[in-house]
Amino acid sequence: MTISAPASGAAQGMTVVARTQGQMVRRRFFRHRAALVGMLAFGGVVLLAFTSIGIGPIPGWWDKSYLTTGSLVNQGRPTLSVVPQFLGGEGIRFGEHPFGQDNIGIDYFALTMRGAQQSITVAFIVAIVATTVGTLAGAFAGYFRKLTESVIMRLTDVMITIPILIIAAIVGRTFGDSGIVILAVCIGLVTWPTLGRLVRGEFLSLREKEFVEAARAVGSSAGRIIFRHVLPNTIGVIIVSATLAVANAVLLESALSFLGVGVQPPDVSLGQLIDTYRSAMTTRPWLFWWPGVFIIAIALSINFIGDGLRDAFDPRQTRVRA
Amino acid sequence: MIAFIARRLVTSFFVLLAATMVIFGLTSIAGDPLADLRELPGPDRERRMADRIERMNLDSPVWVRYLSWLGNLFRGSLGVNRDGQDVGVLLREALSATLQLVVAATVLAVVIGVIVGIISALRQYSTFDYGVTLAAFVCFSLPLFWVAVMLKQYIAIEFNDWLRDPVIPPLIIGVLAVAAGLIWAAIAIGDRRTKLTAFGAGAAVTVVTLTLLSATRWFADPGIGVVGLAVLAGGTAIGLTVLISGLQYRGPLYAALAAAGIGVLLSEILDPVLADPSWTEMFGLALVTAAVCAGLGYGLGGLLRRQAITGAVATGLVTGGLIFLDRMLQSFAAYSDRVRGRPISTIGSRTPNFTGDFWETNLDAAGHLLLPTMALILISLATYTRYSRSSMLEVMNLDYVRTARAKGLPERTVITKHAFRNGMIPITTLMAVDFASVIGGAIVTENVFGWQGMGNLFIEGLQQVDPAPVMAFFIVSGTAIVVFNMLADIVYAYLDPRIRLS
Amino acid sequence: MRNSPNEILHVEDLTVEFPTDDGVVHAVRGVSYTLHEGEVLGIVGESGSGKSVTSLAVMGLLPRGARVRGKIVYRGEDVLKLSARRRRALRGGKIGMIFQDPMTALNPVHTIGDQLAEAVLAHGLVPYKQALARAKEMLDLVGIPQAEARLRSYPHEFSGGMRQRAMIAMAVINSPDVIIADEPTTALDVTVQAQILEKLLEVKDAVNAAIVLITHDLGVVAGTAHRVLVMYAGKPVEIGDTDTVFYRPRMPYTAGLLGSMPSLETSGGRLRPIGGAPPSLINLPSGCPFSPRCPLADDTCTAEEPGLAEAGEGGHLAACHHWREVAAAPDPTALFRTESEAV
Repeated sequence: MTISAPASGAAQGMTVVARTQGQMVRRRFFRHRAALVGMLAFGGVVLLAFTSIGIGPIPGWWDKSYLTTGSLVNQGRPTLSVVPQFLGGEGIRFGEHPFGQDNIGIDYFALTMRGAQQSITVAFIVAIVATTVGTLAGAFAGYFRKLTESVIMRLTDVMITIPILIIAAIVGRTFGDSGIVILAVCIGLVTWPTLGRLVRGEFLSLREKEFVEAARAVGSSAGRIIFRHVLPNTIGVIIVSATLAVANAVLLESALSFLGVGVQPPDVSLGQLIDTYRSAMTTRPWLFWWPGVFIIAIALSINFIGDGLRDAFDPRQTRVRA
Repeated sequence: MIAFIARRLVTSFFVLLAATMVIFGLTSIAGDPLADLRELPGPDRERRMADRIERMNLDSPVWVRYLSWLGNLFRGSLGVNRDGQDVGVLLREALSATLQLVVAATVLAVVIGVIVGIISALRQYSTFDYGVTLAAFVCFSLPLFWVAVMLKQYIAIEFNDWLRDPVIPPLIIGVLAVAAGLIWAAIAIGDRRTKLTAFGAGAAVTVVTLTLLSATRWFADPGIGVVGLAVLAGGTAIGLTVLISGLQYRGPLYAALAAAGIGVLLSEILDPVLADPSWTEMFGLALVTAAVCAGLGYGLGGLLRRQAITGAVATGLVTGGLIFLDRMLQSFAAYSDRVRGRPISTIGSRTPNFTGDFWETNLDAAGHLLLPTMALILISLATYTRYSRSSMLEVMNLDYVRTARAKGLPERTVITKHAFRNGMIPITTLMAVDFASVIGGAIVTENVFGWQGMGNLFIEGLQQVDPAPVMAFFIVSGTAIVVFNMLADIVYAYLDPRIRLS
Repeated sequence: MRNSPNEILHVEDLTVEFPTDDGVVHAVRGVSYTLHEGEVLGIVGESGSGKSVTSLAVMGLLPRGARVRGKIVYRGEDVLKLSARRRRALRGGKIGMIFQDPMTALNPVHTIGDQLAEAVLAHGLVPYKQALARAKEMLDLVGIPQAEARLRSYPHEFSGGMRQRAMIAMAVINSPDVIIADEPTTALDVTVQAQILEKLLEVKDAVNAAIVLITHDLGVVAGTAHRVLVMYAGKPVEIGDTDTVFYRPRMPYTAGLLGSMPSLETSGGRLRPIGGAPPSLINLPSGCPFSPRCPLADDTCTAEEPGLAEAGEGGHLAACHHWREVAAAPDPTALFRTESEAV
């Protein structure tokens, strides 16, 4: 049972020990078990993707490359085994090609890791760009009102009229050839309106509060009020949205790449791998499985982190165990 | 109200206009519209390139092409695509295919999602709640295209193979029974004994049903039958009465049971009509059903007349739906033979050149709809579950729900009249927006299942750098979003008397 | 006192606990009181003292997961042992409740008339029209003008005072024996507060009910209640006739409350607030929970929690090791220092 403090007498006097906002958020977050698991899982995936095949010129610990072809071992079947011998399996081993090989003998583990790297990079850039632009636009619209607000809100109207997958597809198709960074920035530039509206809403209610009035009364500049007084109070909303934006961006990027309008070959991403090998489903299902598993793992773990953050930032929630 | 609509329409018009400019511009610079022709061998190439340049007006700058497209639009023409086909015709076909696909999926997703969300909220922190929450998170994180391909492989192909000899192995029955038992136990409230009873009952019912179905090879030649129909209709009547008015007063119960009984009788008497009806006849029957049931409720309801009418009409319509389902199932064996034993289809919206009676045509459509609908439901179900759960939780903690309890209202009334009614207000907005966006947004699903729908129109146009189909797509999807958003606001104002549209 | 013929509601050793992630919240720790026919019992305390939770427990409106122990006897029957259906019949039927905030206590999407009528229909099957007629009668009773037309209004079309009147009408529409009023005037304008209080007493006489009046405002209790129960940290610390408790407090906390109350008689005098804050209900201090704030506290107080004991005539009980010292003080409120003295 969750009770909101003002609504119920039962919540009265529950939290009396004084803690700072930051401490409370951290405390709540670390007690959210799913969020912790999500954070560990996501950290694991990032670590695996970036250390295994290395970043750019820096080599990783995995000895095969996602660019070189090799001779097919066992028709390219995965050599990874997790079933111990005493249970009738082949024992726990990694093997030569844990995720198998594709039809021209490229090590699929290396390829999947490369795809994961690219997808994670794209997702983070998208989220950072969208969050920054959305926060600024929402803050300005909510604080200045009048003309600024009209212009920004009409702009978001235009962009919200176009379904996100559509506008991303158009942008992806137009800028997809220019490399993943440009692609990610462009997608970020068209996906900010949702967050922008959210931040604007927060600003609209906060700008009428007494502390803003007080800041204005002592002659603080608009910029100072926005960034020092109001924005810190919306940080919960922004952080939670930014986290969920990363998860959505992973899925969006993979969907675009699957439709052929996202990351373009020779670059690889998880969605693009699935697109490339979709016809191999019946003959080499593992080419299909691995990238999908990684997309789910990334999106799911980030979604859990976001959920934990949302609970942590929501001060109304004090839980009574049933 | 009228002023509100007028002002919204004017703003929306300019918003849409601006959006068309952006889309036209971006689509036109998205690549080389002649790419496919450049690779053609032979002398044909130059001529066809010149043709296309002329048809698409590629010599003039983009803004000139945009203005000419806009001029055409105001004259009521959507122009031609790069091969000279009328985009208006293409759009009409695509739209009808997409509507078939998304209407059923959205309605089902809403109904199931809201129900699951509410149960989850009412059983907060129960095993069921945790299970639903986890499932919703997994659904949120699923890449749609990946799921769709999986469904194709494991549901369609393997299920069709299994249908040749539809016997369920005992191990599977056992697993399913345990799963069903766990779900029941998770929903049940109470001490360990209640939960164990629920588990036992759920599992036992599942074992018996599945064993019977398997032993009689029901899946090869399915049907509900009169007895099944009577049991299901009666159950519906009782269930709906419990929900709507409770069982302590007889009037509504008798009205609902009468509706169910008459329905079952008529399913036999009307046999000749139901052999090969048309949609008009079906619709007429539904109307008559509703009218008769309303009469039953009026006559038998007594003091609870209003609830009795609602209950009887709902029971009558559900019974009608069951009869419809029964007929469909009865035609299944014949249909399955005609499509060489592969009733679940993975490609397109209908079997090419297939003709059959009413039921067989519908089965064909259903067989093609099944997988894409499942994929679409899986994705949007999670959203509805989460939203209705959190909305219900929020409302259930509000003061007026406590007031309702303090008045001594039965929990059923507290939930349906006070919590549900208020909790669903934000969901209507979500529904409107969601429906508008799936009209244009089933792109991935259409792509995987080879439907020639709106998404296909769009993505093909985009890849061929051909603005006309892309724009036609946007005119529909953009307008839908604008209109449905406005509808959402109007419905919102209707549901919440505090809101005044101005 | 027990089982006297005119006794309606008897609460005995009621405890309520909420298990939370932070630990168990001991919201109510052993409350007992008896309510007689026609009586007005005031329950006074700071927020978090358990006064609201006590009455929610009586109504059976606590959130799921709350652990309730003790006895709640309504006309000889232990309410906690009743079936859910019997319990529901009491709620709104025999025991009506009025909540603090009339702005949120009414459902915004249903009309006032409908919300009143459904309270009638919940306790007996009558034609809807008849229920609506009863609703109109009640609106007349609580003094809402043009009651007939007002039945069709939505809550947002009412002012705060009107809504609280409607809430009173709702609580008494089935002629209950007991009305529990949980801070019925706190959310209202001062000018409206007196009207509502007066109306509440008037309606009580009309339906012949007893009232449990919960408030943190001693002024509200002074003019209305026959007896007062003072609560602190989930426990009753003083109970007695209103005049006795007001003029001869035996528990330093009550004295402190009286000292924090501005009054016209002592105008010009300083307020004497109680320093500090109420204790956390998760980790209560050892001994008397008031001891950290009490000017009389000594080692006995931190070692042992005092129980309610006779501290005067007429059933005057107080929970204090030092009640005799309080009684001996010429002005018990002077035990607390004024703001300026404290600095």
